[in-house]
Amino acid sequence: MVHDAQMDYYGTRLATCSSDRTVKIFDVKNGGQILVADLRGHEGPVWQVAWAHPMFGNILASCSYDRKVIIWKEENGAWDKMYEYCGHESSVNSVCWGPYDFGLILACGSSDGAISLLTFTGDQQWDVKKISNAHTIGCNAVSWAPAVVPGSLIDQPSGQKPNYIKRFVSGGCDNLVKLWKEEDGQWKEDQKLEAHSDWVRDVGWAPSIGLPTSTIASCSQDGRVFIWTCDDPAGNTWTAKLLHKFSDVVWHVSWSITGNILAVSGGDNKVAYTL
Amino acid sequence: MEELDVEPAITNIPAASDGKHLGFAWGPGDILAYETLYMAPGSGCSFIHEVRKDEDIYSPILRKLFNESHHIFVGLQTIREDLPSKNKKTQLVPELNYCLELSSVLVLQVSILLAIELIWNLCEVLFIDAAPAGPLLLHLLDWVRLHKGDVDEKAREVLQSESPAEHHDYWDVVVSYVLQGRFEEARQMLVKQATLQPAARNMYKLMDTLLSKMPFYNPGGTQTLTEFDVKWRHWHEEVDRCLQDNSFASNQHLEIICKILVGDEDTLLEHKELLSTWYHFLVTRLLFCHPTVKPTELHYYAQSCMTMFLDLRSVPEPLDSILLAAFEFDIHQVIKDCSIALNNWWFVAHLTDLLDHCKLLQSHNLHFGSNLREFLLLEYASGLFTHHSLWQLAVDYFDNCPEFGHVYLELQIERVPLDTERKALKVLRICEQRQMSEQVRSICKIMAMRALRNNRLGSALSWSIRAKDAAFATLISERFLQDYCARGTFSDLDLIDNLGPAMLLSDRLTFLVKYREFHKLYEENRFSEAAKLLLSLITAKIAPRSFWMTLLTDALPLLEQKEVSHSAHCALHCGFGHDLCFILQ
Repeated sequence: MVHDAQMDYYGTRLATCSSDRTVKIFDVKNGGQILVADLRGHEGPVWQVAWAHPMFGNILASCSYDRKVIIWKEENGAWDKMYEYCGHESSVNSVCWGPYDFGLILACGSSDGAISLLTFTGDQQWDVKKISNAHTIGCNAVSWAPAVVPGSLIDQPSGQKPNYIKRFVSGGCDNLVKLWKEEDGQWKEDQKLEAHSDWVRDVGWAPSIGLPTSTIASCSQDGRVFIWTCDDPAGNTWTAKLLHKFSDVVWHVSWSITGNILAVSGGDNKVAYTL
Repeated sequence: MEELDVEPAITNIPAASDGKHLGFAWGPGDILAYETLYMAPGSGCSFIHEVRKDEDIYSPILRKLFNESHHIFVGLQTIREDLPSKNKKTQLVPELNYCLELSSVLVLQVSILLAIELIWNLCEVLFIDAAPAGPLLLHLLDWVRLHKGDVDEKAREVLQSESPAEHHDYWDVVVSYVLQGRFEEARQMLVKQATLQPAARNMYKLMDTLLSKMPFYNPGGTQTLTEFDVKWRHWHEEVDRCLQDNSFASNQHLEIICKILVGDEDTLLEHKELLSTWYHFLVTRLLFCHPTVKPTELHYYAQSCMTMFLDLRSVPEPLDSILLAAFEFDIHQVIKDCSIALNNWWFVAHLTDLLDHCKLLQSHNLHFGSNLREFLLLEYASGLFTHHSLWQLAVDYFDNCPEFGHVYLELQIERVPLDTERKALKVLRICEQRQMSEQVRSICKIMAMRALRNNRLGSALSWSIRAKDAAFATLISERFLQDYCARGTFSDLDLIDNLGPAMLLSDRLTFLVKYREFHKLYEENRFSEAAKLLLSLITAKIAPRSFWMTLLTDALPLLEQKEVSHSAHCALHCGFGHDLCFILQ
């Protein structure tokens, strides 16, 4: 049973993960399907995989029922474990890499209700920050906001490191969608968005097309898909719009690269496209 | 589009069995779908399906079409604004028509492309030429003639036969000519029949006269539309008189032709097979009933002709609704229907662009606030981006979308696989030309990492310099220095020796270059200068700690050189002492 499949940045490699505890990587260039790696290390079904930006090399993260997050790296044509994180007390349900502007940073959501942020600090070292009790009962999904510099419409002088505000959104078993912001090196809950009447299964922050608005999609066990928009650059007032109510659980939402299409996967076995 | 009031098409994924969920992931131009059970382990089908739009863009003929239309598109954007619409159109559309001819070679796509050509030509006639009453009918006649090639084929067959007038298709050809208003040719054909029936000569003479006297409006002439109308009605009465007089009663064929000339609907409808389409029927009907039709009256006739022509049972096809919308001069409806009916944005994107440049498209705000033209061009160009070479065409399209073109390009160009250095440079050049500094940095970083992983330090260094990435340059310089310690030699000397001001990107890099320079001086026996340089390296403190021993070791032989000046000697000794203290700490 395949639980997740993700194409890499260029659409040349495919990573899949499964109940059989493995993560497999295929070369899919020119319509081919060549198994490149069979990664073993998890002791339970693997729920999600995520590719890091190619500038860091070929790096893949996976999370599993076995409470572990493993980061794999390809070195000299061979894949190996780069880092293993065992800081959660329950199944890790979701992993998501932050925008490359922030460096190599991974958000992980777990059924123990916590969200961990793993930051690569160089030389095989990873810094870990944990947000405990982010969602009571459990966190099901995490998704990063695109890197936008405040006042980014004005050019930053070159050479100066821009002052990014790191933000991400999470969805949990408390039926809530929460926004998190990093301030002075600490992660704080920025917004609490209430609209769902059952577990939030997935969240997705839409890519930025240069407008000052932010858009988030959330889907839930209650069959609803909401689109949240915020017009003010400070990110304080969010309005929800119901996109659709499906007859069954909606498991997964995903934005296209330019953010003009949202793909939705529901329990009634359809993948719907919306513009 | 928010106004989409049609149910979206459903694509079935085979093998998605009951009780299972459908997982998916975005690919570059497609979606991956797979059977799964969310959050529940289990066994099941481990296939992954790839769902893709019909891949027109991979056909070689269509690639040529896309290349040509790209060329035309770019030309159109730079054309002078004050040129009247007609000039713009005449310069560009013939080239597009040529492309369409090219592409009709591809058998599978023929019907779609012919339909596109049909729609395109009609749009030219109605929207761009915008002919008034009088010339309008003539243009419509041209349009129908252009798209009914089988008449000429049949005629050729008939004429090449032993006795054309006795060929079983002879009368079909004559009637077809008449239906299309091609009277010269009809008359020539009739002559052949006339010679075979000397007894009926007078009848044939009469028909010939009628055909030759039918007035056609001359747009370049001095006759007004009213004068033409009067003349035409006069002629029409004459034809009707012939019918009433039973002048052609003894010849069934000529009688039919006479009825056609008078515009008898029933007779016209009896020839559905020869007309083959309702829009041919429309034009023919107008020709013989109302040649001075005004553009605003077209839709009324179009609707009634379509209803009369099509069976009660048959449902209008998408093509029919598109043509009808065109006859109603509803440009937006045409574009909307074409978008739905065709599986590639190519046609609507270019049509809309052309109409926009002829100022025929009112601004129609869409969801993102961008206008219709831009929306369609963005969609079309995004589709091109998934192709390994056509993506370059897409760049020009994005460039000409003032609102979102730039950001779309930023998002898409990062996904172009950088298979070769050459391709990476191509992508880079595009980014640099457009001041897309983020993307430049990202691409250079990716290439630098790749080079580093393959131990191509020189390449990695040049990429990180291009990326202006100080941190990475430092990392690579360290590697160079490590290599030196390990092997005693430097690699990529050419690069290091010729860096110029780029060496100032990072302290470590500067040290590397200067250290290499020191070695060069030493090899050239320029010991005095070497000593000075070494001294400055030590005192400037840009050397990494790990290197201090090496530097000191390097200094030793210098102290033994006589050429080294006395002051340098002292300085070195002092430097020594200074640093020895540091090391001993």
